[in-house]
Amino acid sequence: MALAILAMAEAAESPQAQLGLIEAAKAGDLAAFETLMRQHERSVLVTAYRLLGSLPDAQDVSQEVFLKLYRNLGKVDASGNLAGWLYRVTANACHDVRRRKRPATPMEFAEDLRAVGPDPQQVSTEAERRRVLEMSLRMLPEKERAALVLRDLEGLSTEEVARALGSSEATVRSQISKARVKVRGFVEGYFRSR
Amino acid sequence: MHCKDWEERLALHVGGDLPADESSAVERHLAVCSGCQVLWSGMKQSLELLQGAHAEPLPPASYTAVRGRVLAELAVGRRTWWRWAAALAALAALLLVWPERRVPPLPPVALAHPPRPPVYQPSHGRKGVAPGHKSKPAPRQPLLVRLVTDDPDIVIYWIAD
Repeated sequence: MALAILAMAEAAESPQAQLGLIEAAKAGDLAAFETLMRQHERSVLVTAYRLLGSLPDAQDVSQEVFLKLYRNLGKVDASGNLAGWLYRVTANACHDVRRRKRPATPMEFAEDLRAVGPDPQQVSTEAERRRVLEMSLRMLPEKERAALVLRDLEGLSTEEVARALGSSEATVRSQISKARVKVRGFVEGYFRSR
Repeated sequence: MHCKDWEERLALHVGGDLPADESSAVERHLAVCSGCQVLWSGMKQSLELLQGAHAEPLPPASYTAVRGRVLAELAVGRRTWWRWAAALAALAALLLVWPERRVPPLPPVALAHPPRPPVYQPSHGRKGVAPGHKSKPAPRQPLLVRLVTDDPDIVIYWIAD
């Protein structure tokens, strides 16, 4: 049963099925558009969250991205790469938000540090990992952060990251390597100081 | 060559971002340099830690909220569109009913201002208005324009504030 559900989910995300959903959404089928949103909401919201460091801001960006998607279904349809389009629009929207309201409010992640599991040891480890992730990303310059989030956390290829960020692959590689070196320094410093 | 010179390549190697020939050069260096081994494993561990934390799901309610807001906004947009469509249809219907053939001379326009209501002025036992007291202006009445067509059955009223 679980396998069948998994297969159905995969079928729904195949390029043909996705194209069908885009066509239906273009014709005004809101249920089809909702299915499209469900397929891509994780990548959009989580990427925005990592780039902005604030869940409410990330939700605002996600809303903006999906409304933009609805208005541009024709263009997305022609490009044939919905995920790439969404990453690009999300990165641009986050850049706009950061330009409008900086600096990010510190420690607005307190709710994330709440207990999430029954094992206190596991809880503290998970909370700490989240904290390290958020603080590491926060100390990176915007472009390095974006490159690291898309390449190392979202798993895009260097070429896809370059396309999403509107830069060259060489630039992305340089940003990623700098970011990895800084993150290593931060993580080791964080645990050494404890 | 110092470890610092290998830093960038080590960082790219950790994420599998080096071409094969450069990657094997890094591996050869790693086999003989303990300083770079420490650097490399530190980068690998910190990256794995970040990836582990990133994989933790966000609360489902945060997705539901975004979806709800988007769908609500799209529904409002659609309602507005229908309202415009209905208004345009009504206008089109009005133009169809309009007796076009019998209208060549412009219809007479009659402006009518309804009479102002009397303004109440308290006397307080003496005549005139107390110093510093300003009488309130009478509330503005809407402007009523009555368009009379030459068809006695059709009269158009236009009311403006």
